[in-house]
Amino acid sequence: MTAAAPRVRGHGRVRWWTYALLAAAAVVCLFPLYWMFVVATNDTATATRMPPAVVPGGNFLHLLGLVLDTVPFVRALLNSLFVAAAIGAGQAVLCAVAGFAFAKLSFPGRNTLFLVVVLTMTVPTQLAVIPQYMIMSWLGWVDTLQALVVPGLASAFGIFWMRQHITATIDDELVQAATIDGASTWQVFWRVAFPIVRPAALVLGLFGFVTAWNDFLWPFIVLKTPERYTAQIAIKALQNSYDVDLGLAMSGSFLATAPLVVLFVLVGRRMVAGILDGAFKG
Amino acid sequence: MSGVVVALVPAPRAAPPAPVRRTARGLGERLAPYAYIAPFFVLFGIFGLFPFAFTFYVALFDWNPIGDQVFIGVDNFTRMFADPRFWNAARNTVSIWFLSTVPQLSLALVLAHVLNHARLRFALFFRMSVLVPYVTSVAATAIVFAQLFDRDYGMLNWLLGLVGVAPVDFVQSTAGSHVLIATMVTWRWFGYTTLLYLASLQAVPLAVYEAAAIDGAGPWQRFRHITIPSLRPVIIFTVVTSTIGGLQIFTEPLLIATGAPLTCGAVRQCQTLTLFLYEQGFGEFEFGYGSAVGVALFAMVVVIAAVNYLLAGRIRADR
Amino acid sequence: MWSSGREFPISACPKTLEKPVTFRVPLLLVVGALALSAACTPGTGGGGGGDGRSFEFWSFAAINQKVSVDAYHGKHPDVQVKLTEVGTSTETAQALTTALAGGKVPDLVLIQGDNLPKFVQQPQNFVDLRTLGADDVKGDYLDWVMKQSIAKDGEVLGMPTDVGGMAIAYRTDLFAAAGLPTDPAAASALWPSWDAFIETGKRYKQATGKAFLDNAATSVFYQAVNQVSEKYYDDARNLVYDRNPQVRAAFDLGVKAATAGITAGQSSFETAWSAGLAQGQYAAVAAPSWMLNTIRSTAPDTKGKWAIAKIPGGAGNWGGSYLAIPKRAKNPQAAWDYIKEMQSPQGQLEHFTRVGALPSTPSVYQDDKLASSKDPFFSDAPTGKIYTDSLLGLKPFYIGPDSATIGQEFLNAITNVEQSGGDPATAWDDAVRNIKTAIGG
Repeated sequence: MTAAAPRVRGHGRVRWWTYALLAAAAVVCLFPLYWMFVVATNDTATATRMPPAVVPGGNFLHLLGLVLDTVPFVRALLNSLFVAAAIGAGQAVLCAVAGFAFAKLSFPGRNTLFLVVVLTMTVPTQLAVIPQYMIMSWLGWVDTLQALVVPGLASAFGIFWMRQHITATIDDELVQAATIDGASTWQVFWRVAFPIVRPAALVLGLFGFVTAWNDFLWPFIVLKTPERYTAQIAIKALQNSYDVDLGLAMSGSFLATAPLVVLFVLVGRRMVAGILDGAFKG
Repeated sequence: MSGVVVALVPAPRAAPPAPVRRTARGLGERLAPYAYIAPFFVLFGIFGLFPFAFTFYVALFDWNPIGDQVFIGVDNFTRMFADPRFWNAARNTVSIWFLSTVPQLSLALVLAHVLNHARLRFALFFRMSVLVPYVTSVAATAIVFAQLFDRDYGMLNWLLGLVGVAPVDFVQSTAGSHVLIATMVTWRWFGYTTLLYLASLQAVPLAVYEAAAIDGAGPWQRFRHITIPSLRPVIIFTVVTSTIGGLQIFTEPLLIATGAPLTCGAVRQCQTLTLFLYEQGFGEFEFGYGSAVGVALFAMVVVIAAVNYLLAGRIRADR
Repeated sequence: MWSSGREFPISACPKTLEKPVTFRVPLLLVVGALALSAACTPGTGGGGGGDGRSFEFWSFAAINQKVSVDAYHGKHPDVQVKLTEVGTSTETAQALTTALAGGKVPDLVLIQGDNLPKFVQQPQNFVDLRTLGADDVKGDYLDWVMKQSIAKDGEVLGMPTDVGGMAIAYRTDLFAAAGLPTDPAAASALWPSWDAFIETGKRYKQATGKAFLDNAATSVFYQAVNQVSEKYYDDARNLVYDRNPQVRAAFDLGVKAATAGITAGQSSFETAWSAGLAQGQYAAVAAPSWMLNTIRSTAPDTKGKWAIAKIPGGAGNWGGSYLAIPKRAKNPQAAWDYIKEMQSPQGQLEHFTRVGALPSTPSVYQDDKLASSKDPFFSDAPTGKIYTDSLLGLKPFYIGPDSATIGQEFLNAITNVEQSGGDPATAWDDAVRNIKTAIGG
């Protein structure tokens, strides 16, 4: 330690190397995205030149045209948007409702059923993709978007999380008062409870959105025709079209990532807060 | 996977006494709670539990999806245990898991420690920056990193070349491909892990650090004697999640070896267990054999969860 | 099932979020997205609709089926053909299998020859083309090609679209710089045998210090192993891959080329291979007839810098594909009309003039359009003559259900020697062992 010992107050002064370290971490996190943009806007010759180009070029529209020629990428982005939004919104609402039932309503079998919900989290259903595919084919859902959305709506963890949240934030008196005023349980949920936990439900929905948008394995298995591809599968299709352009898959990656980066700039603070709000405090 | 969460978080408190009186309610009101929770049970039953149980059944068959299904008992399992490709995939999975978990968690520890600084400026910017990889899709990550690490056209090899290192083939060599995949996994998850650690650290009263500083403890000692001990439960939690996540690594190896995607290269140098499952199921269409691999993966998850449960129990006892 | 990796990032037991947040922006986004997507989701998959004349067609990428489809549409403007380029030939076969297993099937699908036997074993999944009139035209095609798509009870499952024919494509400018002859006849004379070909590679490498060939696995082994009279199965359809001296010889040639230091070590069709092709990182590449289109579209700027020489070794065929109609196809008649017209001798001849893929209908081999055809992209090489010559004297071999897997494992073993430092001495034994594991024999 070469720096002179600071006169410490509180947690001490922040030293320069702290910033250097954090800045390095930020660069590591952001550079690949920047590089994606660089390659996506340059031609192949520039992208493969050594030393590498480090500034964006003017080739983006050309590559964009190639991307759209190769796969219906706009369609894919819309598909992703639809799937992710439906899963995010659906999870938020379904988990809030179920969490509310477990937290604030009394009914026979409640504790047992809640235990079952918790236990389902221990079943690693991801390893069952083969039978899951078979079920989709029995239902005639192979190559449809509902094959992604409908199973994605169930989230045991979301229910668990919303139940904890509702237990912690909503007073029983509030529910009681509303009930005495003659409100049905649905009205109590919708008019009283949901407005209070909406921020939490939306954070849940956000994470559901991001996870669904970025999911790969399951869409890769069930989606077969380009009109049904999500953005992630469209990237893979671009990578396959080996006879075109090196920057092609990169342009696709950029297109598929940009919407989430925009979303993250808008609401990333809430996601950070959602994680920091977690369980491991004491 | 989320099962491990349950093992570590405090057991849910018993729900408060029911506030809603029974008397004035009609049948609809009494059934309403079941309607609220039914969607989950229906969906999970059809798309989660049933296929999971069905995996064990299919694994007993020679199951050709466009041909015949023949019951063969445990033959798929005996074949699997004698299959060098299975063991190769298991080795690759463990190696990639190790190479990604150790740097990921160490980096996250250090970053969480410095991010916890009370007077840090731009804290929100740094916190958000490290979460950017998490919102970047695995597919995009794989494409970008494969390009950066390319043998002939990659920036990394160009930089290595400047200091006189011969180009490294990060796809065709075993070690190289593992490093490449582990780098992608680390990049994607270290920021998220950092925030988990930070969440836990913020629960440590600032006064503890202050007192230590006044007593003359330097940054390293504070890190060693305050930060690490208070993070022990969450560290175990992240080791377990990254282990179970590691068993499921699929997209990265699929996308980096474009010539032989399902095997991740000519000699399966980076084929993971989940990719092997996919290759058998949807490349070779041996649904039975692929399901047997799924059962094996499940067994590993059970073992890991059990170890976790024991460790978590010991930690609670220590407190 | 729904996320590969860690499932949910927020931990349990939250306290209240500090600030009351309004989520108007994201909420609007979500609602907007749902509305937009719902509005844009069509009821059906587009083409292949109900008029019975239009149909859906799955092909693989980079072989330019699109020009055929466009030509067909030009002649029949009322017929809509919805062409999907699924991916590589292997991926197309995989997508077809999943579709047959329970998804929506196309009306028409292109199947690469090596992938065909597994489908021929399950004829119940396809329309027997005899019911549509295949018997009338069966005789138009090379007999040994046609045979591959006939199932055990005589069902005709696919019609051949093309055959491989083999040649070497090389860069005249790079050859000139290395002091090698650039004229096709002179270049062909350099390599009467594969050994001579490898020696030429060494000369090139010595003169320029650069790679001669893209890779050994595909450009040497895969060519040589298709010049045999018996391949992985004998004529009685028994597996002989591990004891067939012809296969062993081809494998040893591949290993020899891999260890001679003459290749760029870039696997065919990988991104770096495409870039290397465009940038002239290697001077020669094996070019079955369908490869010409790949070179043309991967490296358009190299027009006129290529020429085509004879393949070392002798007659042989790599590749060639078939068109089949799945049983559950909605528009089988429309698909058959397409096959009948576009895969007729005249249809294949026209496709040859557009793309360069060699017809599987021998009656047109003497046609002037083919016999005297020249390809300007390849320095006016007489491609028709070169490729038909490469089939002369070919002795057809049986392709079986495991041929694709066996070929892939041999290829992998050579790639291992070439790119991953595998031991050439054990490569053969490794490959045979891997094959036994993979095919369960």
